[in-house]
Amino acid sequence: MKGILMNALEKLLVVLVGVITIDVIWQVASRYIFNNPSSFTDELAGFLLIWLGLFGAAYVTGRDEHLAIDILPQKLEGKQKRRLQILIYGLVIIFALAVMVVGGINLVYLTFLLEQKSASLQVPLGFVYISIPLSGILICYFSLESILNLQPAKA
Amino acid sequence: MDSIEVLILILSFVILLGIGVPIAYSIGLSAMITLLVSMPSLPALTTLAQRMATALDSFSLLAIPFFILAGQFMNRGGIATRLIDLAKVLVGRLPGGLAFVNIISCMLFGAISGSAVAAASAIGGFMVDRMEKEGYSKSFSAAINITSSTTGLIIPPSNILIIYSLASGGVSIAALFLAGYMPGLLLGMSLMTVAGVWAYVKKYPVGQTAGFQEFTRKTLRAFPSLLLLVIVIGGIVKGIFTATEASAIAVVYTAVLSMVFYKEVRWKDVPGIFIETSKTTAIVMLLIGTSMGMSWVMSFENIPQEVSTALITISDNKYVILLIINLILLCVGIFMDMTPAVLIFTPIFLPVVEDLGMDPVHFGIVMVLNLCIGLCTPPVGSVLFVGVGVAKISIQKVIKPLVPLFLAMLLALLLVTYFPEITLWLPRLFGF
Repeated sequence: MKGILMNALEKLLVVLVGVITIDVIWQVASRYIFNNPSSFTDELAGFLLIWLGLFGAAYVTGRDEHLAIDILPQKLEGKQKRRLQILIYGLVIIFALAVMVVGGINLVYLTFLLEQKSASLQVPLGFVYISIPLSGILICYFSLESILNLQPAKA
Repeated sequence: MDSIEVLILILSFVILLGIGVPIAYSIGLSAMITLLVSMPSLPALTTLAQRMATALDSFSLLAIPFFILAGQFMNRGGIATRLIDLAKVLVGRLPGGLAFVNIISCMLFGAISGSAVAAASAIGGFMVDRMEKEGYSKSFSAAINITSSTTGLIIPPSNILIIYSLASGGVSIAALFLAGYMPGLLLGMSLMTVAGVWAYVKKYPVGQTAGFQEFTRKTLRAFPSLLLLVIVIGGIVKGIFTATEASAIAVVYTAVLSMVFYKEVRWKDVPGIFIETSKTTAIVMLLIGTSMGMSWVMSFENIPQEVSTALITISDNKYVILLIINLILLCVGIFMDMTPAVLIFTPIFLPVVEDLGMDPVHFGIVMVLNLCIGLCTPPVGSVLFVGVGVAKISIQKVIKPLVPLFLAMLLALLLVTYFPEITLWLPRLFGF
């Protein structure tokens, strides 16, 4: 399951980087070469960056590659190390669950309720913000998976 | 009283960092805990979620993934070796020539790629072996490589200066980029001085003088990479395009250069390059998202004002306060990566120094230069880790040669702090 999700995320990220690149190059070209600045590229790029940042963050969490000061986890061994790692992943889950999933869903709900739309593309902002709870769920899942995969302490 | 919230914020952050929670999540969690104490839960969580997302919705931040992407193309596209060759014909025949070559290559590569870690791995991977073959000690070579890699963060284009521009509420990126040149050169030259003396004492070999023909050939080979700098910086400074547009141009330029002309990157490598780019980008973006959440919480709790009042009660002398701020930032830099440090401490310290009449452009450079030192120190120096990694040497061994280089960096920091002209001369020349 994790493998499938990570694979899908990887493809999504490649597409996002590709689309953002083309989008901004298009903006530069439309302004300097065709003298007809496009109005939507600016906004689209910002939205795609939110998606790239958040889904990328979930991907990096899945690969356990976020920057951390890992002096303490490195020093501990056996049971203590395992307990600390469970605590760390647990704290990550608490953040993702509370802020990204609960706060994010409420944010999406509010923006749909108020029918907030983006200025030039007229996209409901809820679609942009939905990346917050979605990546939050992924972060919870990956961290849970990491806890379950921890090497059991030797007796 | 607010002081309890402040205590909660600082304590929870330090504890979370200390037990090894990833930095971005530590920042987010401590902001969350603090806000939950002073606000009803659902609005607090929703506000934080919104801050995280809106922090990323910024056109100028887009320059970051693009400069990272351009750096990736350069890393794999054979640009590093061409820059090293150029540096060699420039300074190879001075005493300690190869050390100078390492420093200059790092300055050039770091400037073009905007990443100290990329410079440390691309240049170090090549230079440390080369230096060892010619009789330099490995620890000295690695120390040179590690410290000089940070110069690229100050010499433009530089992602961290873009982040500072965001954190400071819109200081001109063009002015910051121009301001980075002289302090970056000063830093490079201070490191070169130490390297020169060290090499002279240890009687390290002097390289051969390059003939005119070779000089021209090597310069021409490196020319396309250097031209990129001219296009990007020239375009931004002249106001022809924004930093983000320039970074997109840099992507096209490096992609064409490494795929069509140097032919060292193939189409099948591109998805991998995109993945690497999105990983590095996401690490930075999550830090930006949660740091902006935290800095919102801090201003909600009036922390910047309280710090500023506290600082002014200690002293109202500009030089003393700048010294205190520098000392605080040095400690911060030892334990924290540069991006969150800039995002969290800019809103706290900038109002204080602006009250003292300091130019925000000047403060940005001082702050980044200061935090560069922390990148080379344990326990969390990312450049240190990459540098010892590519040199295949232990951290303990590299500390001794690092000490004189740190002193050189500190000296450069003091000069840049107390002589604003070093920083502001160039931007003023261009009318900023």
